[in-house]
Amino acid sequence: MIDLKFNRVSKKYNIRANGDSPKRWYGRGFAGRKRPGQMWALRNVSFEVNEGEALGIVGHNGAGKTTILKILSGITTPTAGDITIRGRLVALVEVSSGFHPELTGIENVYLHGAMLGMRRSEIRRKLDSIIEFSGVGRYIEVPVKRYSSGMFVRLGFAIAAHLDPDILLLDEVLAVGDAAFQAKCLERISELRKDGRTMVFISHDLAAVYRLCDRALLLSHGCILSDGHPRQVIDEYQQMTFAGQDMSADENKDNDTGTPAKCTGISFSAPESPEGIRTGYPLVARLSYKALKSIPDAVFRVSIYWPSGYLCAQLTTESMSGGLQLEPGTGIVEFQCPMLPVVPGLYRVDLAIESKGLEIDVRQRCATLRVDPGKIAYGDFYIENTWKITETLPQPCTPVH
Amino acid sequence: MTTTPETVVASQMTVRSAGAVAHPTTWETSTGMARTPARPVKVIHPPAFSIGTISTGLRTLVQYSDLLYTLSLFRLNVRYKQSALGWTWAALQPLALMGIYTIIFTRVTTVATGGVPYPVFVFSALLPWIFFSSTISSAVNGLVLYPNLLTKMYFPREIIPLSYMVASLADFCIASTILGGLMVYYKVPLTWHVLYAIPIVVILAAFAAAIALFFSALQVRFRDVGLAMPFLLQMWMFTVPVVYSLQSVPERFRGLYLLDPVAGLIEGFRLVVIHGRAPDFQTLALCGAVTIVSLPLAYAFFKSLEATMADLI
Repeated sequence: MIDLKFNRVSKKYNIRANGDSPKRWYGRGFAGRKRPGQMWALRNVSFEVNEGEALGIVGHNGAGKTTILKILSGITTPTAGDITIRGRLVALVEVSSGFHPELTGIENVYLHGAMLGMRRSEIRRKLDSIIEFSGVGRYIEVPVKRYSSGMFVRLGFAIAAHLDPDILLLDEVLAVGDAAFQAKCLERISELRKDGRTMVFISHDLAAVYRLCDRALLLSHGCILSDGHPRQVIDEYQQMTFAGQDMSADENKDNDTGTPAKCTGISFSAPESPEGIRTGYPLVARLSYKALKSIPDAVFRVSIYWPSGYLCAQLTTESMSGGLQLEPGTGIVEFQCPMLPVVPGLYRVDLAIESKGLEIDVRQRCATLRVDPGKIAYGDFYIENTWKITETLPQPCTPVH
Repeated sequence: MTTTPETVVASQMTVRSAGAVAHPTTWETSTGMARTPARPVKVIHPPAFSIGTISTGLRTLVQYSDLLYTLSLFRLNVRYKQSALGWTWAALQPLALMGIYTIIFTRVTTVATGGVPYPVFVFSALLPWIFFSSTISSAVNGLVLYPNLLTKMYFPREIIPLSYMVASLADFCIASTILGGLMVYYKVPLTWHVLYAIPIVVILAAFAAAIALFFSALQVRFRDVGLAMPFLLQMWMFTVPVVYSLQSVPERFRGLYLLDPVAGLIEGFRLVVIHGRAPDFQTLALCGAVTIVSLPLAYAFFKSLEATMADLI
């Protein structure tokens, strides 16, 4: 069964400072001339989501992700095309935006719940469970303006988590709250997933899309560029990022601000394995840079982060004998790694150039490194090894109890 | 230009076949609720102006009726939170106005009241007028006051102006007890005709809803509405028989004068409550007719602007 269907949907925004200028109403510009202040956020977008499927939508800022979400939740309407939604749809977007500061927690539960389409009887039945989930305890009788921001968000999510959606929309919800709260959110989401609910997940967090979704869409400038397995779509998204517009846009900006050197790109390749970058196989990383002045004592760094955000490893030109001397011009730093030890997954990558210990260009989370399964590894790392069975021991083993 | 969410229940055939393949007929969810297999199917079309939007809009409104109730309740709650006098404010406003008009229209100049003491005379008209004007003035700013609600969540937007109408109606009921007290004090007798006040207030509420829907939708696009509203309402008050009676209006202008339902309804309210007479049914019918025409028009207009409210606000 198809739960969600976009049929040739387009959305146009008027992007003038004053929205739709009242002048249009009394004459000038009335004749349907092409006005400059228009932007097509979606162009002829068609896709379907099956029951029980988790669809991830990725794309740059302004690609149209949020517009899809707003149209789905009914906040705004398409300019052309139509959308069919089968079942109760709930959007987990800024979960506490319906709160009124003067009202107490309980009053807000009723108000916010009603805005999300719950009946009062339904809220009354679930009230205890909502309060328990939120963990605000006795503060539930206090006006929410006295809440800490964490309590605010927790209460909002607690209400949303008690809705019983057929289709769940998520928009970077996981980006808010502390670690324990995020774990709770994820737990609830996977609970709903196991239950066969349909999900649409909109995120910049490629690792999360990779982990949570069955399928992904890549949006760019309001069009669907690709639709398929998350791995393949994320690949394409990354290629698009590095091929392009983004880095060159930055280039112009940096010329103006006078950064003496900057990273212009990064690529990862696997010279020996045609299937891509794999655990236990060689990796080549190439960092391209552009220097405008000569830079003494330069150091390049490629930092690789776990999906959890901790630093996993770093490729660096740093050495005991001091940095490099960079001359103006462009160049490529090539790191040769005979064996990549990290386990399969998506890693985020930072690039940096330092001079005399001071950062002169840092690109945070500018790329993603995807490692596919290669040699069998569990835990965090693959330990290079060979093994054989022998009869005689050079020294006796410690007995295992 | 409006959202047309058509809510229809998926045909039993399709649902049953799907249930047989993928799911049992009902199943326990993690929240412990039994989910029925019949899911509502909603189709979102691009905005298009049609009268059909009224019926689909009303259907959605019924689904969200609990929100209207909750929001109205909390409007009252919030309004008097952190105020020392609380609910008495609902009575204080008409009382203060009654005081000042009584001084002006008994000491400075006089108007014909048909033998009723002026305080009761003016208070009986101030009640419905304040109900009407406070509905309009609060509803007009209602939509733009919390832009986050409009850009982050969806619910039928008309609930916001309508909730202000319901809250004003509650204030009206509180202030009515003061009117009762005044009538006892001034020994103004009550008759059975007072029951006509109910349909009169209903028509007035419907007309207030129409005006509130129209102007609150317009306010999202043109903030001029909110700026003009205070003095527009002030002028409006003097075009309806609040401080004077309908008898003071020259006979030849009365037809035109009564085209405004507010004028006819306020005069009617005063007639049945303090004069103890039956209302003028011809006027009442006219007021009803104007309301019946204007409410659906205002609602359709509101729904047509609702589609783009989140983009414009």
